[in-house]
Amino acid sequence: MSQPPLLALEGVTKRFGGLTAVSNVSFTVPAGDLLGIIGPNGAGKTTLFNVISGYYRADGGRVVFAGQDVVGQAPHVICRLGLTRTFQLVKPFGHLSVVDNVMIGALTRLPTLRAARVEAERVIEICGLGSHASAHARTLPIGLRKRLEVARALATRPRLLLLDEVMAGLNPTELAAMIELIQRLHVDGLTVIVIEHIMAAMMRLARRIVVLHHGERIAEGPPAAITQDRRVVDAYLGEEFVLAQA
Amino acid sequence: MIARLRSRPGAVALFGLAALTPLFVRDAYFLDSLVLILLWGALSAAWNVAGGYAGQVSIGHASFFGLGAYAAALMVTRFGRGPWLGMLVGVVLSLGAGFIIGFLSNRLRGPYFALSTIAFSQVLLIGVSRWRGFTAGGEGIPVPFRPGFTTLGLGHIAWVYMALAAALLCYAVEVYLERSRLGYRLAGVREDEDAAEALGIPTRRLKVLAIALSAALTSICGSLWAQYVGFVDPTYVFSVDLSVKFALNTIIGGMGTALGPYLGSILITSLETYLRATFSGVKTGFAGIYLIIYGTVLILVVRFVPDGLAGFASRLRARRAHA
Repeated sequence: MSQPPLLALEGVTKRFGGLTAVSNVSFTVPAGDLLGIIGPNGAGKTTLFNVISGYYRADGGRVVFAGQDVVGQAPHVICRLGLTRTFQLVKPFGHLSVVDNVMIGALTRLPTLRAARVEAERVIEICGLGSHASAHARTLPIGLRKRLEVARALATRPRLLLLDEVMAGLNPTELAAMIELIQRLHVDGLTVIVIEHIMAAMMRLARRIVVLHHGERIAEGPPAAITQDRRVVDAYLGEEFVLAQA
Repeated sequence: MIARLRSRPGAVALFGLAALTPLFVRDAYFLDSLVLILLWGALSAAWNVAGGYAGQVSIGHASFFGLGAYAAALMVTRFGRGPWLGMLVGVVLSLGAGFIIGFLSNRLRGPYFALSTIAFSQVLLIGVSRWRGFTAGGEGIPVPFRPGFTTLGLGHIAWVYMALAAALLCYAVEVYLERSRLGYRLAGVREDEDAAEALGIPTRRLKVLAIALSAALTSICGSLWAQYVGFVDPTYVFSVDLSVKFALNTIIGGMGTALGPYLGSILITSLETYLRATFSGVKTGFAGIYLIIYGTVLILVVRFVPDGLAGFASRLRARRAHA
């Protein structure tokens, strides 16, 4: 592949005092990829997202997005470059309506309220929030809040979207709808990185999976190969998973 | 334009009534109350720009009020120039102070930010009190009354319109924040700074901008107040009480609503004026009763209408539309 990757991590390290939360992690994400990141709690997945999206500054290594090193850039600058993220603990603008929430995202690319409203309504429709457009965000149940989180991020027109556990806490119907939404966005050309604990969803969604353990990348490959990987089974999946798969 | 006015019947009624009152009422005491209601309303609206719309709750806005008041008073007494020039200097100083406090808001959030704004106003209080050679220190400065528009030596009726102009200015800024890109993005900052950053909003820059804008408006009203009352002293214009008054008017009236600060000012200023007139000098035992009633009103509002009088009114309207 001659085209440079959309995102390249080169030896990214993040320490908190004596704890190395992310240790020398490297991988690349070509445009159009749908990458999954898995690992046990505390493996450094969310920390890695915080480094990529500019909330934490890496202590070492480079994060190259679209050919530009973004280490040290503020999150809003990185968002303007076309990289944004959702939060594991959702952060809706609680006192505002769903459409206002999404409009605030759309206003990053659009100069007028009118244009932003049109864009917000389009994105809300894609995310299946159409019937809740005028509801206050704080009144939504968790399943819809997760979708609002995605809708707001989409409204900023990202090229790369980081989704941090957008499927956690969803019921089976909501889960299926979320998987369908992510697949649809991917088909439409969006590059996506997903952190998720629900392995069944990950197996269906991801083309490649990176496994983190104690802040280190211990494996990388297609989902089928990952579930056979001895280190991954020991660190994260467990024997029961392998037996259940068989 | 007409449609826009129709969408804000409360504001049209309130400001229209204020504009018509001097045509029918000539009672100086009543007109004085009206000027104060409008001025405190404008000041609370100015506070609302940072506190209500951008979520930067300051308890140090007396800093900007005092800078405006002193700039106008000193321009007249020390430099022999007009108070309008003083108002301009006050705005420049307050913008500078607003930027400093704005940068504090980048380091400190919530109660820590509020505390640092108190500290800022206390520093100004001490500074102005000690710099006797220039500011006359704790004695304060009487502002001479020279009739005329350029010297802001106005009669009661003219002052009503001057205060109304200040009120409309601050109201216009609030309305702008409700229907502009800037206002929407500030609402994002108010609701959740981290989420706002992820959506491409330069949160730090916008917070500083909102605080500086709020400071400039507060300073303008402070200059007007100094010329209206005719006396400036540091312990009043830089007091925490004053900062709290701006905040409480707005909280009682409805934070983040354009008309709320004015509703709060109508309730609190008229209550204050009435209670002072009724209980002053009756018995010394009643000296503090105004504060007790003030506190009671605040508790009742926070308990029963936490979104303020404006929020209460819009809920009533929604219920009536429903029925």
